[in-house]
Amino acid sequence: MSLMLEQVQLGYGGSTIIEDISVVIPDKKITTLIGPNGCGKSTLLKSLAGLLKPMKGSVSLKGKALEQWSRKALAFEVAMLPQKPTAPEGICVKALVEYGRFPYQGILGGQSQNDKDVVAWAMAQTGISELAERSVNALSGGQQQRVWIAMAIAQQSRILLLDEPTTFLDWGHQLEVLELLTKLNLEQELTVVMSLHDLNQAAQFSDHILVMEQGGLITEGSPADAISPKILANVFNVDADVEIRGNNRPYFLARGSIQAADQNLLAGVTP
Amino acid sequence: MRLNIHRYKVIYGLLILAIASGLVCSLIYGAATLSLDQVVHAMFSQGGEHSDRVVWNMRLPRAVLACLVGLHFALSGLILQTLTRNPLADAGIMGINAGAGLAAISVVVGAALLPFGSGIYSQGGQVLTWLPIAALTGGCITAILVYLVSGAGQMTPLRLILTGVIFAAVFNALATGLLALWGQAHTETVVAWLAGSLHGRNWLHLWILLPWTVLGLIGVVFCLRPLELIRLHDDQVQCLGVNIRFWRLVVVLLATLLASSAVAVAGPIGFVGLIVPHIARKIAPVSFKQQLMLTGGIGALLVMTADLVGRVSVAPFELPVGILCALLGVPAFLYLLRKNP
Repeated sequence: MSLMLEQVQLGYGGSTIIEDISVVIPDKKITTLIGPNGCGKSTLLKSLAGLLKPMKGSVSLKGKALEQWSRKALAFEVAMLPQKPTAPEGICVKALVEYGRFPYQGILGGQSQNDKDVVAWAMAQTGISELAERSVNALSGGQQQRVWIAMAIAQQSRILLLDEPTTFLDWGHQLEVLELLTKLNLEQELTVVMSLHDLNQAAQFSDHILVMEQGGLITEGSPADAISPKILANVFNVDADVEIRGNNRPYFLARGSIQAADQNLLAGVTP
Repeated sequence: MRLNIHRYKVIYGLLILAIASGLVCSLIYGAATLSLDQVVHAMFSQGGEHSDRVVWNMRLPRAVLACLVGLHFALSGLILQTLTRNPLADAGIMGINAGAGLAAISVVVGAALLPFGSGIYSQGGQVLTWLPIAALTGGCITAILVYLVSGAGQMTPLRLILTGVIFAAVFNALATGLLALWGQAHTETVVAWLAGSLHGRNWLHLWILLPWTVLGLIGVVFCLRPLELIRLHDDQVQCLGVNIRFWRLVVVLLATLLASSAVAVAGPIGFVGLIVPHIARKIAPVSFKQQLMLTGGIGALLVMTADLVGRVSVAPFELPVGILCALLGVPAFLYLLRKNP
């Protein structure tokens, strides 16, 4: 049984952010959340990691509500990379990746040979083996993001949640991260759930898209099914052309925001 | 990597050497300077001569106590700085010292109001044995109050520290008020104690503190890994299987235990908990475990040296160790801050 939300209401303190949402996360696929700022993507990811108790409804994994899982047992199933992780001052790459093995070691346990092998594997997968002894804070943004992903995959959980993993990266490094996630998905059968802002990247790298707006799920499906010009206009206020390219992946080209178009209309300017 | 291991060996070697020579100097120097022969004689005899008693009953326990107190405050500072992710945190800022101090003053004043007592020092053991318990209770109650008021499990490190500052201010005010109203008879001793002093401390104080040192060090061993992980983002910490609420509480209590037991025997010695972790971090920037061990060692060295200087510099009078710690620690701290930005 996969990770799923059933009629879940989410929020912090007294305020509700997500009113009522039901989603099944497809196993061994890449699922991407898209939607405007503040629509509840991060909140949804937090609840999928069991970090936010639903006000109503249930979030469950393998048919068991996440509150009933111990944090330790859940660590073998779900890993999470938040939007702005911070590395402890002075820590080196290898030490940070080794933290990913904590669930297998416990409070007093040392590193087993298996732990060492997995850490080496995670660093090789993410291409950071040569950086092992370097200080994390001295690395570039793209390298740091790969270090965090290495730490997360060293945890060897089946599901990896990432909150905007490309946000602070340049174009090339964004693609590197997404290609890395695709590789891990294909080779390790890792279930990936992430939020992205770039719709073309979302369409290119995802199997499944969840479109969110104001705390609700607007639609879901394959990239070509889920993202249409109508959705782009309604959810993002963007007037865009959609072109279906190879592999049935849509490609979007924005003509302008709808507010701008309205204003132009009012001013009597024809675009 | 190999170079690093070698470097740590040298650093620990120097540290142990410094602590050992500090200890020897503490036995030799004081109101009356003794010869090394006299000290050696005192260590291996039953204390027949006057100098034997000075070394065995006064200087030795006091120097060892200074080491333990330094270890307590420094470790507590490192733990609280790590937990709150704030380089300015220590038991003083967090209100723990103030709570422990208030409880201890209440006991001193309370005991004086009772017919059988007239203060800690003239009363001797009876009130004194209760003082660490009172300070510990006061420190723990403060820590739990600060923890709960700042939002228990949901607290942010910043909220924790601000709440601590508020409690520190309130409890310090209460302690001053208590002294002003009922403490006239003991103002002098209590003020000296509040400045952080090791004057007149002996084996009794050492035996009172030692169990807490042992307990604290065992606690540090168990909290090492959770503390390391707590430095990461909260979401990551929890997804690694760490129950963050539980460990935050355990770690706060551990720091409290270390700090308030030291406050009980030596008063709230400031700056040690603030400065020593920074020195340790500069020496060992990479490994948290090394930082922890260095913090303990440097804390012990700093307080012992400060106490020695305080005893010798204006003999036959004494400067409280708290003042010397600030005088010695702050320049070292500023130097390190400037050295590597």
